[in-house]
Amino acid sequence: MGGTASIENSKTQADGELRRFLVGLGRGAAGAMLFGIPMLMTMELWELGFYIEQSRLLILLLVNIPLLIVLAHLIGFERTSTFWQAVRDALTAFALGIVISGAALVMLGVLKADMPMATIIGKIAIQAVPASIGAMLGRSQLGGEDNADDEDDETSQSSDAVPDSLSTNYVRELFLMAIGALFLNLNVAPTEEVVLISYKMMNWHGVVTILVSIAIMHCFVYAVSFRGGHRMPEDSSRWPIFFRYTLPGYMVAMLVSLYVLWIFGRLDGMAATPVLISVIVLSFPGAIGAAAARLIL
Amino acid sequence: MKDTSDIGKVTEKGEAHWIEWVTAIVSTLIVAGVLGWVGWRAVSEEKVPPAFRIEITERMPVEGGYRIRFDVSNSANRTAAAVVVRGEVMDGDAAVEQADVTFDYVPAQSKASGAILFAREPRQDQIRLRTISFTDP
Repeated sequence: MGGTASIENSKTQADGELRRFLVGLGRGAAGAMLFGIPMLMTMELWELGFYIEQSRLLILLLVNIPLLIVLAHLIGFERTSTFWQAVRDALTAFALGIVISGAALVMLGVLKADMPMATIIGKIAIQAVPASIGAMLGRSQLGGEDNADDEDDETSQSSDAVPDSLSTNYVRELFLMAIGALFLNLNVAPTEEVVLISYKMMNWHGVVTILVSIAIMHCFVYAVSFRGGHRMPEDSSRWPIFFRYTLPGYMVAMLVSLYVLWIFGRLDGMAATPVLISVIVLSFPGAIGAAAARLIL
Repeated sequence: MKDTSDIGKVTEKGEAHWIEWVTAIVSTLIVAGVLGWVGWRAVSEEKVPPAFRIEITERMPVEGGYRIRFDVSNSANRTAAAVVVRGEVMDGDAAVEQADVTFDYVPAQSKASGAILFAREPRQDQIRLRTISFTDP
């Protein structure tokens, strides 16, 4: 009797696992849609599909893989305990991103059968990067009341947040800021407005933008009391936190902006000062994304 | 301090690993450097209207014509938009063939490249390229 019961039990358990996996996939697809739609419907990104330099496209795709693996480790489809599980989840998310982007582009009539293969692949590949990040985020952010699972997440998050060694937490914070910045940057960078704004700006606009971006970053996380916000330690003054978290965060946002602008070929032939101004312009949404990522993820 | 608004919040630890301080110092230097550079440019730079220089980089016979590739560089510190470059094949003082090409932007102290296709093969000294208009972005 006990034997049949345990077989039954393991069968329902397997069913449960399968169901949870499928739900995870569904949430991933929803996330890819939700986060990918703004880019799927942006003309500049379709055009990038045929004029982006192939080597840079390759770099964008290759960098996306370790990025997804680390993200999977932090907030994946299923709670990952081993490296290979994280790799599996990362590849699942990437594949979901590719499939969803391809399907959406076909539906929107952007991709046609008579286009050269290189163009089709280029267009899908660019879109797949933000969509795959969205797929990964969808699992963690759209997963409402997945009871036991979420409680698990909750405890693991809070234990992550106050770890034994501060540096792991610190690296985690910087990484999440990079993800947040990358995400908003991918939305904004391909549009022509970024370069146009940087040409319209005078240098002193740039100075103000830097200061405002840093102030927003700091206030988002520490001042306006969002859920998931961070509190200043009571025993020390505020300035060390500003220098340890906010300024490095802004530096991360600037580096991500530089990376994205370079990938999209927005900096080609430009001198140092215009490049810097473009990076400052893109770091503004990047900083907001970075701060939001610290709160949400 | 333990009011309800602290629920779900993370308290930053007071003491930091040395790596954090290294990162903090490097970041501060970089941000200060960028601020300093842009600020210095803002104070010191005189605004010079766009000035162009055109340099032919390639002349190549192609199907049905002759391709002239060139770079337009803008040596000033203002960006120019909608820059129209006119290419002419001259025969003496008269232009026997003419073509225009428009650049969306030629950023400050930067260059943009493009090409003009002529129907006939011009001799070296017969090509004249010049910018004829631009707008402020």
